[in-house]
Amino acid sequence: MSNMQIELPKDAFSRVNTSSKESELITRPSITFWADARRRLMKNKVAMFGLAIIIIITMLAIFVPVFSEYTYTKQDLTNTNAPPSREHPFGTDSHGRDLWVRVWVGARVSLAVGIFGSIIPSLIGIVIGGISGYFGGKVDMIIMRFIDIVMCVPNMIYIILITIYIGTGPVALVVAFALTGWMGTARSVRGMILQLKEQEFVLASRTLGASPANLIFQHLIPNTLGIVVVSMTMGVPSAIFQEAFLSFIGLGIQPPIPSWGQLANLGISVFRIYPSQLLIPAALISVTMLSFNLFGDGLRDALDPKLRM
Amino acid sequence: MVKYIFKRLIISIVTIWLLATISFFLLRALPGNPFQTEKLMTVEMQERMMAYYGLDRPLIEQYFTYMKNLLHGNMGYSLKYTNRTVNSIIASTFPVSAELGLRALAVALPIGLALGVASARKRGKAIDYICVVVAVIGVSIPSFIMGSFLQYVFAIKLKILPVSQWETTAHTVLPTVALALSLMATLTRVMRASMLEVVMQDYIKTARAKGLSEGRIVWSHQIRNALIPVLTMLGPMVTSVLMGTFVIEKIFAIPGLGQHFVNSITGLDYTMTMGLTIFYGTFMVFANFLVDIAYGIVDPRIRITK
Amino acid sequence: MQERILEIKDLFFSFDTYAGEVQAVRGVSLHVNKGETLAIVGESGCGKSVTIQNVMKLIPSPPGRLKSGKIFYCGEDITNYTPKQMQKLRGKEMSMIFQDPMTSLNPTMRIGRQIAEGILKHEKISQAEARDRAVQMLGKVGISNPEKSYRRYPHQFSGGMRQRVMIAMALVCNPKILFADEPTTALDVTTQAQILELINQLKEEFGTSVVIVTHDLGVVARTAERIAVMYAGKVVETGIARDIFYNPKHPYTSGLLESMPSSGKSSKTLTSIPGTPPDLFSPPKGCSFAPRCKYCMKICQEMMPDLIEVENQHSVSCWLMHPQAPKYELPGRKSRFTQNLKEGI
Repeated sequence: MSNMQIELPKDAFSRVNTSSKESELITRPSITFWADARRRLMKNKVAMFGLAIIIIITMLAIFVPVFSEYTYTKQDLTNTNAPPSREHPFGTDSHGRDLWVRVWVGARVSLAVGIFGSIIPSLIGIVIGGISGYFGGKVDMIIMRFIDIVMCVPNMIYIILITIYIGTGPVALVVAFALTGWMGTARSVRGMILQLKEQEFVLASRTLGASPANLIFQHLIPNTLGIVVVSMTMGVPSAIFQEAFLSFIGLGIQPPIPSWGQLANLGISVFRIYPSQLLIPAALISVTMLSFNLFGDGLRDALDPKLRM
Repeated sequence: MVKYIFKRLIISIVTIWLLATISFFLLRALPGNPFQTEKLMTVEMQERMMAYYGLDRPLIEQYFTYMKNLLHGNMGYSLKYTNRTVNSIIASTFPVSAELGLRALAVALPIGLALGVASARKRGKAIDYICVVVAVIGVSIPSFIMGSFLQYVFAIKLKILPVSQWETTAHTVLPTVALALSLMATLTRVMRASMLEVVMQDYIKTARAKGLSEGRIVWSHQIRNALIPVLTMLGPMVTSVLMGTFVIEKIFAIPGLGQHFVNSITGLDYTMTMGLTIFYGTFMVFANFLVDIAYGIVDPRIRITK
Repeated sequence: MQERILEIKDLFFSFDTYAGEVQAVRGVSLHVNKGETLAIVGESGCGKSVTIQNVMKLIPSPPGRLKSGKIFYCGEDITNYTPKQMQKLRGKEMSMIFQDPMTSLNPTMRIGRQIAEGILKHEKISQAEARDRAVQMLGKVGISNPEKSYRRYPHQFSGGMRQRVMIAMALVCNPKILFADEPTTALDVTTQAQILELINQLKEEFGTSVVIVTHDLGVVARTAERIAVMYAGKVVETGIARDIFYNPKHPYTSGLLESMPSSGKSSKTLTSIPGTPPDLFSPPKGCSFAPRCKYCMKICQEMMPDLIEVENQHSVSCWLMHPQAPKYELPGRKSRFTQNLKEGI
């Protein structure tokens, strides 16, 4: 039976004044873009797993060298190439140095180079890409042609050149990465800015008299931030890899300062007899890169507006 | 079309010229000289060597001499390998690197793309998770670790494949696999992402509304469009792979081009570094040109009309 | 009674999102008669597209989920058809054109092939015959030089031309129903009229039933014989076009008609319906239009009114239809617009 045939009390049909204000209340809790992205990131178990590993490794890198009785240079020539034991969880190397401490001091170097070696070039890339995309014309052409030319040759060549010029060591590596690593970010930021520039909200604030700096920093860069944050995260494993690679071939971090690549380099010479000396730093490099990649993948999915629901 | 190719050619030549010029002056700005590292040489002998190779002339004069020779395709003598021209060193080592690279690509390209497609098609299923996990591990393990690991397991422990050298087909297996794994992982990731992007496009819904079977939609609508981003990265990827990879060549003692990239720079072998840079750059420009043509075939929107 | 090509009974369809269930369609019943044009009208997000896309099962699941309801095609229950069975229906028995012709065609495939592959899927004919049919169809939808256009790519056509290609693609296998999902929204005004004219003309020629989904009453006036007005995932009023336009019974329909700009001199201001549609995460328990309704009564906020037939084929879901409710004369369409409507039918 239709409810149209039900007898209803008379006052059911009394008029009610509806204010349109009330009806415009949105019942769904409004979620900002970043809050929504964070919620989705937190729900992503794989990404959170990656983040947990990154935090554990960072904690170990910070605290192990502080609380250990050994230092990364202290030699014990009576106990060289020892296998892992209670005293030396990762064993000792050919100079009798405790690998447990050396690995975590190396982690400090590798992580620092990885993180700064990704963030600094990205920041440079944002600025240059932003300028190139925003101003367009000749400026854009010169910057883009320059990038085209430089990108014809693998980054590694420039990095090696720069390290020869300014020396080796963690800071020099970061500088080398900064000078060579900004081009990819610059290119993609420029591409995004070119697209955004055509959009109405930018046109609107330009008509309202916003200055170029204001436009770039208030509108254009925030809108590209998501992608840049993702590419920074993804840049960390590749910077860790580059550091490891350079140290592995003897051009990066120089002894006695350890880094994972450098430990792997020392390990490979005794690989056939004491495989653990290579396998431990190799596993740490791989696990760290994996964790950053997993976290980066999760971040990318969380920040992708198309997946927002 | 002819006009377009001509224009591209001019741009390529200018690019390579600028590249050569930048590298030339960048290299010379480095402290030290090529003969310093050889301990047995006295300062006087070093100077004689510098004079012998014309390195004592004014820089600008050296530059013009170098460019003139380069125009004739002559990249000069290596400063480290006595009596060997840069051309001959490249000619003898490049084929080895290129062979290794081609083998790796022949393995990685079909498998990587196929896994990307399979993974995207079965999104959220077991196959997808396996592919995603394998791919992320593949891009997370540096080649030198993967190379050493494969060598240790298959050559040293199991003794089923040769440890190193580049002689028989059996020798090529481990380096090929080591190189192919990371390429494959990258291709899988890019192809999967691209397939998932395309599947959300309206024209896939149109194809579905026409009553086409899923297989047909994937094959004739999805894959072709999904290949476009893959093509973009193929130019640099193919170049870097064919040019040799230092670490893998070092681990497996392969007489390829890769070793020279690092050794020539650290040894300040100016002519060798210059030669390699120019060779690499030219190859990259050429590869990108081929990619652009392939682009035009796959995507009619950017087909050259001028 | 006329032959019913399509009948939808009490359809509930939801999307499962992170934030919860969005009840996009909440009990929609509709039918389409043979050879007629039904227009489904409503604001964006009212569930009209979801309803028709669900008939062809074009909404991926998840997130989409058919909760309950039945769909009958030519008397046959197709609600639980397998993907394989649906493939036989799509394109052959029912087809669809979409809102944005810019993105609805595959950019990397020649348009001729995009049309021909549909024919090849459904009919056992040779490549050459399929080609001829496609060329012929291109001519029918008014593409000049069809032979040459067959080999062109979508980006070489304008928006209107692409929508013609979409129509050719949809009608080439002579389906019994054509769903047109906002077919003119993305086009400019002059092109809109041509496309609607083309749909009307081909509908006559092929004897196809058309379901046109739109928020534009101008489009409705030009094409529809029957109209279903949707609001917040429900049909609030349905009937033949003339009744809906001149004698709307639901305040929402009346409001829509009033807010339509007319080309007559009389109107100086544009009227609008204040407020916004409810959020379908948590639809109100009463009539979902109540918060915006001029005639809102106590009961409206308490209970959902059922859809009842008030006169021949004219059904309304509104408490004003209750025998005890006060009676109002709701404003409908007058003046100049009448002529358009007559031409349309």
